[in-house]
Amino acid sequence: MISTKFAIPDIIFGSGSISHLAECAKRVGAKRVFFVSDRGVEESGWVDLVRGILQVNNLDCVYFNDVNSNPRDEQVHRGAKYYLEEGCDVIIALGGGSPMDTAKGIGIIAGNGGEIRDYEGANRIMRPLPPMILIPSTAGSSSDISQFCIITDMEREVKMSIISRSLVPNMSIIDPQLLVTQSRSLILAAGIDALAHAIESYLSKLASPFTEVQALRAIELIVHNLRPAAEERDLKALEQMSIASTAAGMSFSNAGLGSLHALAHSLGGICDVLHGWVHPVLLPSVMRYNLPACVEKMGDIGRIISGSRMCSTKEAAVLGIDSLERMFADFGIDTKMRNLVPSKDTLEKICVTATHDACHLTNPRSATWEELMSICEEAW
Amino acid sequence: MAPSTTLSDLIGIEHSKLGFFQELQHTIEELQAANEESESQRREIAAILDGITDVMMVLSENLRIISVNHAFREIFDSVEPEGKYCYELFRNSVEPCPECPAFRSLSTNKVCKELAFFRINGRKRQFEMIASPLKGPYGSGNRVLIFKRDVTLEKEYQAKYYQAEKMATVGTLATGVAHEVNNPLMAISGYAEGIQRKLTKLTAECIPAEVKTDFEDYTNTILKECHRCQQIVKSLLNFGHPETSVFGIVNLNDVIKDTLNILGYHLKRSKELSLELDLADELPLIYADEPRLKQVMLNLMTNAADALQGKEGVISLHTRMNGKGAVVLEVADNGCGISPEIKDRLFDPFFTTKPVGKGIGIGLSTCYNIVKDHHGEISVLSEEGVGSRFVVTLPIQQD
Repeated sequence: MISTKFAIPDIIFGSGSISHLAECAKRVGAKRVFFVSDRGVEESGWVDLVRGILQVNNLDCVYFNDVNSNPRDEQVHRGAKYYLEEGCDVIIALGGGSPMDTAKGIGIIAGNGGEIRDYEGANRIMRPLPPMILIPSTAGSSSDISQFCIITDMEREVKMSIISRSLVPNMSIIDPQLLVTQSRSLILAAGIDALAHAIESYLSKLASPFTEVQALRAIELIVHNLRPAAEERDLKALEQMSIASTAAGMSFSNAGLGSLHALAHSLGGICDVLHGWVHPVLLPSVMRYNLPACVEKMGDIGRIISGSRMCSTKEAAVLGIDSLERMFADFGIDTKMRNLVPSKDTLEKICVTATHDACHLTNPRSATWEELMSICEEAW
Repeated sequence: MAPSTTLSDLIGIEHSKLGFFQELQHTIEELQAANEESESQRREIAAILDGITDVMMVLSENLRIISVNHAFREIFDSVEPEGKYCYELFRNSVEPCPECPAFRSLSTNKVCKELAFFRINGRKRQFEMIASPLKGPYGSGNRVLIFKRDVTLEKEYQAKYYQAEKMATVGTLATGVAHEVNNPLMAISGYAEGIQRKLTKLTAECIPAEVKTDFEDYTNTILKECHRCQQIVKSLLNFGHPETSVFGIVNLNDVIKDTLNILGYHLKRSKELSLELDLADELPLIYADEPRLKQVMLNLMTNAADALQGKEGVISLHTRMNGKGAVVLEVADNGCGISPEIKDRLFDPFFTTKPVGKGIGIGLSTCYNIVKDHHGEISVLSEEGVGSRFVVTLPIQQD
């Protein structure tokens, strides 16, 4: 058995836990906070809430909102310059994956200098980052838990995976109340991203007993709570989704992901697709490709998703994949590749790029770019 | 681009979240070094301060003692000075001393000096005070550093030096005068003797007998007075000896006689004053410093004469053996006496009951020091309005 490692940040969880933000910031030495968020979160009113909390506690706040979905290298560089010019000491990010990853990128440059592309891959960060406190406003990306940071290199059209223990933030403040302002489609996209995290990390080559238990728990919670959360914005269900995405985050941060995420990253880099919408298209195909390599684990997943206990492992696995496809269809989510990618000609580039992604390494069944092509063809 | 990632890279066993530990460690090491350095500096400064023998105090603006050095604690042992007011310790007073230099120093922001007397452990001491302002980094409260140096001895010696200087001047003058007077005296006595020789050759035809007798009387008187003048001149010469004091074999009675010769005019001038001499015959010789003993005599006599305050009175001088291998000199007067409350301050330097310009209060303390140098003792018996008796005991054998 190989040795594994399990690292997570301090997690402060619960309804209203955002009220602890100021004391957390002071504990990591904040006097002048660099606060990263985006316009979507501004509209929900949470940005003003955070700025109010900081103001009441006499903490200076330098606000930065130059953030895209699929955040870009130049945005990170601008943010880092701004951070250093303003002489900030702690980074706080509020939002989905994009503001949180932008914040991590800014932290890397602020602490280590250079350009963000210098740090692509695993363990390239050699100097400490400023303390980071991340507050997720979606139950999906789990960037607030993970050691991943995904930034788009605009020049090469690549979504770079940057992996380092130093990217695990100092604190994650998870307040399910923040989720109520999300739109239905955002809840779905984020929830399915979390489900993909859970499934891929459970099947990953680096899965360990400590990640597997989190992954299975996350799958179970998502299957039961995604619908009430998305359709009714039921607070209880949203809270369960928070727990699920956090558990999935603990799992994938330490076990890694698979080819689905490798493809999603290259798609995002080349076509600027919203990350969450790639998974419903490719997840069933990737699972079918991986099935021969991990029938047992697929069976576990299938039983949880389909709720069936009566069939063989293999049947359960297939049943699970079918149930997933049915679930996406029920939500009315687009599951056709052709709607994401302008033309088939770009597929080759997408698949070649995906084989270079770090996530591709941990896929349970190794795949050449041609094999990835066949997966994409299947979903076309 | 970057080298390809492996599975073990993803596990990253040897990688942890980087903190600022190394920087912290570095900072802590720097701080420790700085701390050690400042500690050694502090020790050095403390050693320097301990080497200062003056009393040192740091006072607040309102003269509360903040800290003191070891010299202070030696003077005021068994007192916790911190927090007390400076003037309550030094003067037992409830308000600042009028001459305090601390205020001046604080207001002018300059170093200020001042001389003052303090009674320390029942003895009057003179201190030179130096106040320098401490504009500390505290901004709000200014503090002041006070040095107090005990200059009692210094001042004593200074006074003695002036006295000695004066005596030396007087001595020089006296010597000069004595020599000048000696010549006419020699001429006068020479001619008087000449006259006497001529008188013996003169017969009755030349000069009537009664005239001759008268002339003999006159010349005898002239010679006698000349001789007396020569004696006075001799003792003046003795007194004004410019050499520094040297111990030698001394007859106490001679010392007294010599001194009286000098004082003779002064004593005779006041008709109310009468001297009683009771000098022991066969007084053993002592090993002493003659000029300085004369100074003791002079001082005691002067004080006795002053005690009579111009009224009628008797000064009696008495020498004797005391059976303990010492000679005793007593100088007694029936003057105003000494009040008991100042009795213990009598030998303090600069203590005087005389009006300004009459004395500086160094006489008795000089006597005290001289007698102590002779391993002797000086004490006083006195009753107010009756008189005083000073007793000086001098051992025959010097150890």
